[in-house]
Amino acid sequence: MQIKSREKNDVIIFDIEGEIRRSDIIDLTLHQMVKDQLDVGKRNILFNFKDVEFIDSFGVGEILASYISTHNLGGKLKIAKISKKLFLVFQVTMLTKVLEIFDNEEVALESFFKD
Amino acid sequence: MANSRLYRILSRVVKIKQGEEIISLLLFLYFFLIMFPYYIIKPYRDAKYLVEQGSRELPIAYLSTAVIIGFFVAFYSRLQVKVNRRVLIISSLIFFIVTCILSRQFFIFRLSWIPLVFWIWANIFVVVLVTQFWILVNDIFNPREVKRLIGFFGSGGLLGGILGGLLTGLLGFERPDDLLFIASGMLILTAFVANYIFIWQRKQRKEKAITDKVDNKDGARWKKATKVGFIDCFNTVRKNYYLKLLAVVVTITFIVTTLIDFQSKTVIEVKVERMDEMTEFFGYFHAGLLVLPFFLQLLMTSNIIRRYGIRFTLLLFPFVLIFCSMGIYFWPGIIFAVAIKSSDKGLSFSLNQSVRELLYIPISPEIKYKAKLFIDMFLNRFAKGIGALILLIFIFVLPEAEWVKRVKFVSIITFVLILVWILINLKISKEYTNTVKQKLELKWDRADRLVAEKVDVDYMKLVFDTIESKDRSSVLYAMHLFDLIKQDKLTPEVKKLISYKSDEVKVSSMGGLFESGETTLFPITDDYMSEEVLEKEIEEIMSLDVYQEVMKDYVEKALQDESMESETTKMEVAKAIGLMDFDSPLVQKLEELLWDESPEVSKYALESAARLKRREYVPTIIKKLQSLLTREDASAALEKYGSKVVGTLEDYLGDSTEDIELRKGVASVLSRIGNQEAADFLSWELAESQRDIVNELIDALDKIRSEKPDVQFSKEIVKTEIVKETKEYCKFFIECYGSKPKRREAGKDKDPAESLDVSLLNIFKLLGLIYPHVDIFKAYQNIKTGTKESMDYAVELLDNLLEKETRDIVFPLVEDLPVEERVKKCRSLLKSIS
Repeated sequence: MQIKSREKNDVIIFDIEGEIRRSDIIDLTLHQMVKDQLDVGKRNILFNFKDVEFIDSFGVGEILASYISTHNLGGKLKIAKISKKLFLVFQVTMLTKVLEIFDNEEVALESFFKD
Repeated sequence: MANSRLYRILSRVVKIKQGEEIISLLLFLYFFLIMFPYYIIKPYRDAKYLVEQGSRELPIAYLSTAVIIGFFVAFYSRLQVKVNRRVLIISSLIFFIVTCILSRQFFIFRLSWIPLVFWIWANIFVVVLVTQFWILVNDIFNPREVKRLIGFFGSGGLLGGILGGLLTGLLGFERPDDLLFIASGMLILTAFVANYIFIWQRKQRKEKAITDKVDNKDGARWKKATKVGFIDCFNTVRKNYYLKLLAVVVTITFIVTTLIDFQSKTVIEVKVERMDEMTEFFGYFHAGLLVLPFFLQLLMTSNIIRRYGIRFTLLLFPFVLIFCSMGIYFWPGIIFAVAIKSSDKGLSFSLNQSVRELLYIPISPEIKYKAKLFIDMFLNRFAKGIGALILLIFIFVLPEAEWVKRVKFVSIITFVLILVWILINLKISKEYTNTVKQKLELKWDRADRLVAEKVDVDYMKLVFDTIESKDRSSVLYAMHLFDLIKQDKLTPEVKKLISYKSDEVKVSSMGGLFESGETTLFPITDDYMSEEVLEKEIEEIMSLDVYQEVMKDYVEKALQDESMESETTKMEVAKAIGLMDFDSPLVQKLEELLWDESPEVSKYALESAARLKRREYVPTIIKKLQSLLTREDASAALEKYGSKVVGTLEDYLGDSTEDIELRKGVASVLSRIGNQEAADFLSWELAESQRDIVNELIDALDKIRSEKPDVQFSKEIVKTEIVKETKEYCKFFIECYGSKPKRREAGKDKDPAESLDVSLLNIFKLLGLIYPHVDIFKAYQNIKTGTKESMDYAVELLDNLLEKETRDIVFPLVEDLPVEERVKKCRSLLKSIS
């Protein structure tokens, strides 16, 4: 798994590539990376899953932990370009009711400003 | 008027129904007129043979009879193919009239072979005329009718035999040869009566054809039945296990009868020597032999069969003979010679003849006709031939044996044969019940059982819920899809069904993710995530602490939300909780959803409760049985809890202060769980409860019985309940049809006719708990909706299945009786039960 971050219009975008699995834990987890951004005052986070092939429950846990951390600090965490499979998983678990999920990055970015 | 007077007279001695009086009397007379001349001919034949040939020559007579009867039956079978029954019967009578007169003339020549020829002729006489008589009876009446009237017809023959024998006794000493003229005269009268019966029958058919237009079927059957030959008759018996048993029984019976006849005649020959004395002796002897069976037949045969059933009646005859056989072995004198012959004739003409005719009842008319031709006309004579062969072998081996030795030897053979006879009788009585069962069809099954057998209800419900959720919520839809995947039931057919009109599906919240096409509705087809992985991932996600934390706020808000949209959200939450771990914190929120006033939310919550099976939900789920809107879902949920909630359910069931609808629901749930414990609780409750939930308790027990044949029910409780339910039935029946119908207050009382139906059904459901369930329901369905014939078979089946005490209670309710008579029976039943 590779995670790159970039900033656009005050939104920190994490471009994730590969698979998010318990077995592929890297030194810096997604949650830790989000916490680092929160620590420097960033409050708008967008996960771009365009190149993500698979996310296991550990990966979802990372997303949810990031969501809680952001939410607790009054920030917003949104998701873009999720696979159909993962979307189904989020639907079955009702996470679609809590997380904001978008088809593409632009729409997701616009939504931060609308908020 | 005349008919009703005749009915009143006859109904005092026989269980006759209106409309049956003329034909019953005619058949009584017919049989009387056959047996009267036969009992003139028979003593004359015996005396003639014993005086001129001696008892040592008896086996020759028996054997010759057997052989010639064999040929005769083959000839007769061909004849009856070509000639219609009326012509055949009348022609047979004319033949016997003419030959009887000719015999009288031949005896003048005193030729040595004449007694043997006359012996054989007399046997053909009785075989042909008696078989023709019983075939005619079977053609006219159905099984139950025959069972009711058989005693009356049989007593006609016995009375004829007694009077014929007495007349022979009176005139035999003076002019024995002239007795044959009297016999011929009686046969002329028989021909007139037989002819009148056919005229009556034709008239009845015409009337029936006008009223119900089904006559042609019977007519066709009649014609078809006559087209059989001897080989066909033989094959019919050979291919049918029941008929084979019947044939063996008849064979053994007649071998034994032959041996007994030989024993008694051997003793009589020693004591009485002259022809005139012997004719007189045999005349009185045969008349005397028939007095006992006459009274037995007229007064007791039907009662014994009705009261003790076919098995007991079948065994009575061989047991009496085995006793007499032992008697004559130890005391080979005239007393036991007369006793064994009296028992043989007495019981053979009454009980045995009647019960043998009954054994033919469950056989279809075509087969019965062929079987009777073979068994009654050929086989019984053939059996006598075997008996004769046994005797001949004995005489050949011990030619100089004294008469005492002969009698004793025959007793030993008789004893052994009777033991075999008893064993086969036991087998045939079992087969008889099986054959009656086969005559009845199960017209319908319990609806719930049928549905359960043919439809996977849970699966269908899930598919319909999935379809329904498409328009309601994409989350619910996805959850249902996940359920289908989990159960491995997302088949191509189901996909097609669910995708129908998929372009109307509201999946807008998913944007382009769930595009409106079949394939995108089922996105879980990629290789990288198998169904097992998906299931595991979802399970793990929902058990994550972070997940529980994220969802906690959402769920709490959803539960407090009173807006229009909140119902769907609550449904989603309720369903999602069902996917969570047993110990997940959010699971505690389910109880709140179970109490939700929306039946839809409640339904989803109940489903989740059933998955989680947490004990604290049980009281709430039970309360949900109260409302018809949630009862089914609550029942299904409790059913899934299974045996661990049976005790709790029993507490509610037994608490009379609880809502009655709730208790009814509990009874239904216990039946769905259906284990021994549930059955015991339901039975105890049935014994204890007031009548408020009796129907539901009985239905619940019936459901268990129909689905779980291994579950046992307390006979004591069930029998007590049958009595209680019979009381109810009788009360309703008297209320409906008694002379003073009770005035009902509109809307207050139940319709007694409806209650009558429910009560009868309850009685059968209770019977089904302790007797073979399928057989009891076959009987019930045929009594309720069958033809007259199938109703009769149904009652016959019950007659053979039920124990006497139960039969006595149930029969007045199910027998084919006029309403007034049933009211009377209900009244007397109420008194006797009280």
